[in-house]
Amino acid sequence: MQLIKDFINGVWNENPIFRMVIGICSALAVTTAASNGIAMGLALTFVLTCSSILVSILRNVIPSTVRIPCYIIVVATFTTVVDLFMKAYFPALYEVMGIFIPLIVVNCIVLARAEAFASKVGVARATADALGMGLGYTWAITLISIIREIMGSGTLFGYHIMGDGFVPWIIAILPPGAFIVMGILVGIMNMIARKTVKDTECH
Amino acid sequence: MNQYARMIIVLVIISMASGAVLALSYAVTNPTIQEQARQKLEQSVLVVIPGATRMEEIQKEDMTIYVGLDDEGNKKGIAFKTVGSGFNGSIEIMVGYNPKEGKLLGIEILSMSETPGLGARIQEEAFKGQFKGKSVEDEFVAKQDVEAISGATISSTAVASAIKTSLDKVVEIFPVGGDY
Amino acid sequence: MAKELFFIIIGSVFVNNFVFSRFLGNCPFLGVSNKTETAIGMGMATTFVLTMTAVAAYFLQNYVLAPYGLEPFLQIVSFILVIASLVQLVEMVILKVSPALYNAFGIYLPLITTNCIVMGVALLIPMYNYNLIKSIALGLGAGLGFTLALALMSGIREEMEFHDVPEALKGPAIVFITAGLLSMIFLGFTGLVPLG
Repeated sequence: MQLIKDFINGVWNENPIFRMVIGICSALAVTTAASNGIAMGLALTFVLTCSSILVSILRNVIPSTVRIPCYIIVVATFTTVVDLFMKAYFPALYEVMGIFIPLIVVNCIVLARAEAFASKVGVARATADALGMGLGYTWAITLISIIREIMGSGTLFGYHIMGDGFVPWIIAILPPGAFIVMGILVGIMNMIARKTVKDTECH
Repeated sequence: MNQYARMIIVLVIISMASGAVLALSYAVTNPTIQEQARQKLEQSVLVVIPGATRMEEIQKEDMTIYVGLDDEGNKKGIAFKTVGSGFNGSIEIMVGYNPKEGKLLGIEILSMSETPGLGARIQEEAFKGQFKGKSVEDEFVAKQDVEAISGATISSTAVASAIKTSLDKVVEIFPVGGDY
Repeated sequence: MAKELFFIIIGSVFVNNFVFSRFLGNCPFLGVSNKTETAIGMGMATTFVLTMTAVAAYFLQNYVLAPYGLEPFLQIVSFILVIASLVQLVEMVILKVSPALYNAFGIYLPLITTNCIVMGVALLIPMYNYNLIKSIALGLGAGLGFTLALALMSGIREEMEFHDVPEALKGPAIVFITAGLLSMIFLGFTGLVPLG
């Protein structure tokens, strides 16, 4: 079914982080602990899905000339809503995220999907795509966070799993670690994608 | 003309809708946000003044002082915030102080962005604990009368000097041994 | 005062480089850093927008948002709309003044709107409570740091064209790893300048 295809597309083939390589800033900055990764992913998925749905509903109403300002207002509104609700109900998480929650408004994924997809298709497809992209983003940054947290703090979701003798590689939770882990993961994903493409070509 | 009118109408409607949603969200969340901020502040004051169960806020010469009181209303000490320039940004510290004896009651790190595993260790009891009972007459110099964290001299110094600077001001307001 | 401004600029270019330490401006960093001329051009245009945004953010925050208590819920929307308008303005001005430059930038000019670095600087100014001069210094420093990062990366990438990069690492992967190494180098600058 088309909707399932749209959903899977965002999760794997056109995974925003590992394949399209957009929306990176937040992926690198907040991924110091696994719980941060999940929280950021959910926040982004919320903004992405609501924005895509609204843009899709209004796609025939908004004149093309003013579409960018309209999209911006829509995305900015949902971002502010997430910002306020996180500050009120998840203050500890909110402090860790810092300015990256408000920065969801300029996350390339949200505006790119609104412009390239949601504005051209019906609500059902826009929702499937948004949820797929959101999930793709979430699992990608959670993976990065898990790697960085285990290597850099010896913990996973706050629980010590590496034993007492383990000296953490602090570099993993410092900026260089983010870039390097990301680079290696993108490389691995490329290898996997190449293999699956080769396999289908051979048949 | 029709085209322009449509553009303007759409923009205005969307802006107004956005404004309404935002104002509503704010109205819903703001009380909770304020309450949390207040709780966090009170928490940190009660932690650095042992025996205090509630606090009162007073303003003295452009400094905000928090007086810690116990259940009977006896004053157990005062607390104040200070900020230091750390390795990676500012370090916010809540300092508990007993003006009657001129001794610190303890410190709590409110916020910092120091290096994990190094400067961030100023949050550990091993570092914070050394300030309990410290006299206001001390120098507050890292590696002299303040034990610095190995590999994190800048963070340690930042905390020590921030406390010293604000203590000097507080001593002017509440002379040692006097009432508060 | 001058010392503080100097520290803000040096701090933003080296110690807390916006790309390598603060993770802002990474998307265009990946996209534009393959040719040095485009890289530097993008850097300059972004610096220009950044400095103007810093001024706009300062006035918007201190004269409109704060006095009326609008800050918590209108900050994001107003900042991003102002940034989008500024970029639009810069586009129109460049088109008028130098159509050749306009063509050279292509789609990268409107893309400055979604560059996290611009919104990031706008948000940092109320956070640090900077006055007007310090805000400008921050915008300038951020832009210069961004340009430096782009210039470094494009120089390295142009050189890498002549070397054997493993197949799977070609493209974004090797850029990230290189950025990681550069980030490590910039980490050495910490402590150079008192922050906060």
